[in-house]
Amino acid sequence: MAAARSVSPGGALLRASRLFSLPAPIPPPLGDITSSAYNSESSTQPFPTHQVITTLSSSRKRGDWGLKRPLPLKTTTKSSTPMLRVKQIDSIEQITDYSSAADHGLTLKKFQELRLPITAPTKNQNGGYGADRMNLPKRSVFEEDSDFTAVDPEQQGAVKDKRWKFNGPWLAGMTQGDFKKWLAKNVRTRRLEFRQFLKKKLAVEMLRPATQKALDNGEELPSAIDPETISEEQLTEYLRRLRQNNQELYDMVGQFLDLAPLQPPTMSDVRLGLLGGAKADLRTTENPYADSGPPVTHPSAGISYLRTAAYLDNHPIYGPQRNHPPQQARVVRPRRQAIDGKLGVAGFVVETPHGDNYSNNKYNYNPELDRLDPGVEGGAKLWVQPQRASVDSTGRVQVVVGNAKSEDELVVKELLGEEKMFGEVPKPVEEAPPRGGYRARAFGAAQLREQYKNGPKISSAQEYGLGTISHSSR
Amino acid sequence: MASRLGSSLLRQTCQAPQHQQRVQQLSTTAATAAFRNLKPTNSSPNRSLTDLDDSSPRSTPNDLLRNIFKSGRSQNRENHPREAVKDLRAAHTTDSYLRHMPRRWRAGDLYAPKDLSPVEMKKWRTPHTPKKDVLDMLGLNPLDNYRNFSLISDYMTPFGRIKHSSETGLRPVNQRKMAKTIRRAIGLGIHPSVHRHPEILRLNSRNLPQATSGRL
Repeated sequence: MAAARSVSPGGALLRASRLFSLPAPIPPPLGDITSSAYNSESSTQPFPTHQVITTLSSSRKRGDWGLKRPLPLKTTTKSSTPMLRVKQIDSIEQITDYSSAADHGLTLKKFQELRLPITAPTKNQNGGYGADRMNLPKRSVFEEDSDFTAVDPEQQGAVKDKRWKFNGPWLAGMTQGDFKKWLAKNVRTRRLEFRQFLKKKLAVEMLRPATQKALDNGEELPSAIDPETISEEQLTEYLRRLRQNNQELYDMVGQFLDLAPLQPPTMSDVRLGLLGGAKADLRTTENPYADSGPPVTHPSAGISYLRTAAYLDNHPIYGPQRNHPPQQARVVRPRRQAIDGKLGVAGFVVETPHGDNYSNNKYNYNPELDRLDPGVEGGAKLWVQPQRASVDSTGRVQVVVGNAKSEDELVVKELLGEEKMFGEVPKPVEEAPPRGGYRARAFGAAQLREQYKNGPKISSAQEYGLGTISHSSR
Repeated sequence: MASRLGSSLLRQTCQAPQHQQRVQQLSTTAATAAFRNLKPTNSSPNRSLTDLDDSSPRSTPNDLLRNIFKSGRSQNRENHPREAVKDLRAAHTTDSYLRHMPRRWRAGDLYAPKDLSPVEMKKWRTPHTPKKDVLDMLGLNPLDNYRNFSLISDYMTPFGRIKHSSETGLRPVNQRKMAKTIRRAIGLGIHPSVHRHPEILRLNSRNLPQATSGRL
């Protein structure tokens, strides 16, 4: 009844206000433990933790951001990207603590311009990281068979290979200290509960031969065994048997604590002796998050809701294009000595393209990638083809780029007006450009029709001097 | 005239392979002569039809190898010293600028224009105190690790002083335990009090990692 009760106008206004609609900040990204000595507090975090707010320009002129008090005009009106994050609506010094959120706000816009769907990681076939680098077909994180969180507790084990959300931790991602703490706090206290859980499992197992026999003989099924009737001796015997079977014990514990699935060590790990003689007789799991851990948020992280990139881009003259338009990538760090170069696409740092291309050629160096030329205005840039994006277990967006084909690059440059259109006749300079500027004229329908009146030029056998041969052979 | 000269040459060159064949029939070892005889076989009768219009003298495998070694950047530098100097200058400029860009970017990092600025880059140069207690994270009890000279030397200066907690980032309990461990190790005489452990120095001198699992 309480939910249906109507609120007062003042209360409704308060509920709709920014004061209450700002969500609580999410936990900040975990820093890199290994290089934590070198960091910067003020650097852009891999994902935003606070809501980004904006306001209309008319309100902004008055400093009205919908907060408790107007924000200073001097710092909020000059920006061309009016986005703020509010750290504290009202601090003890009676000020509103805010800072610019243009970094994350613009990054989101730039990423959405790439039109990349977020894909789930694929299970590594060979256990290494190589399989994920290969351009094998990927699946969207929004596929119905894997994108669900509401699971019946009884059915949790059945859909273990599909889920991405687990109540328990991913053990491989815990440090030893964290693991010890977790054992003491969350596991040891549940001993009795686990014995009850095992009794239920044992009751089902004890009944199995009788059920099978009844089924074979066509008799009536035996009634279920009450777990309460199982004695402590029987349970202890069952525990002893479980301890001999690593896989079964792990299944029981994993089901009880709802642990995120782990990928067992590969045969190569065992042969190299990295595990100190541990046997790899454990079953592999099909869950794509078993290799590097389940994601901290929804696997899409809400950065893109596209389900596929399988559409064709159409060009007004050249027709449907095989590839999506390539993008310009900033050389964030040039390749030097043994350290790989890093590129930046839409504000995300990415690895240089894999495979047989300039970025992996040792001898013929690429001046853009290998040398930092301070004379280049705005920094060196390369054309790359964004291929896919995924969110890893730490919440970072991993964009994978490939080498841009020179034809695609040319087409994009033509569209941007950086290159002359195919077959375009340079106009005399004294002619005043019509309204809409030079680019509008170059793409005008009349000009295009003029260019393609005789059809596109296609090379023929005669042009290669083969015409006479073909005639004589007939 | 030319045909007579050609036929005499042909006869001469044909004799050598015949001799080789005889040797090969008798010998059971590898045909070493086949490698020694790497002189140009310009007038060999085995020339294929495809080589008919090839007027250039045929190259031996030795020449091919030499060409392979010569091709590449080394040859370019020899031929174009100016280019090489230019390249060296560009490399020097790159290194100089990279010295001011100490941030090691990882895939998935986010950057805004401010992150590429000198002010922000300067912050990545100086090491900060670790925010988390490393010993807690690893679940180590310092008192049990009095023989772990690799761990101990991380919490000592090169002059043998125990580092302050502002440098180590340990919580007070762990800092006290770590200090006690260091004092015990020195008191037992298993760790030097004035410099690093000789075993660490040995690994450093060979550029080996200080911590090894021991299982490998």
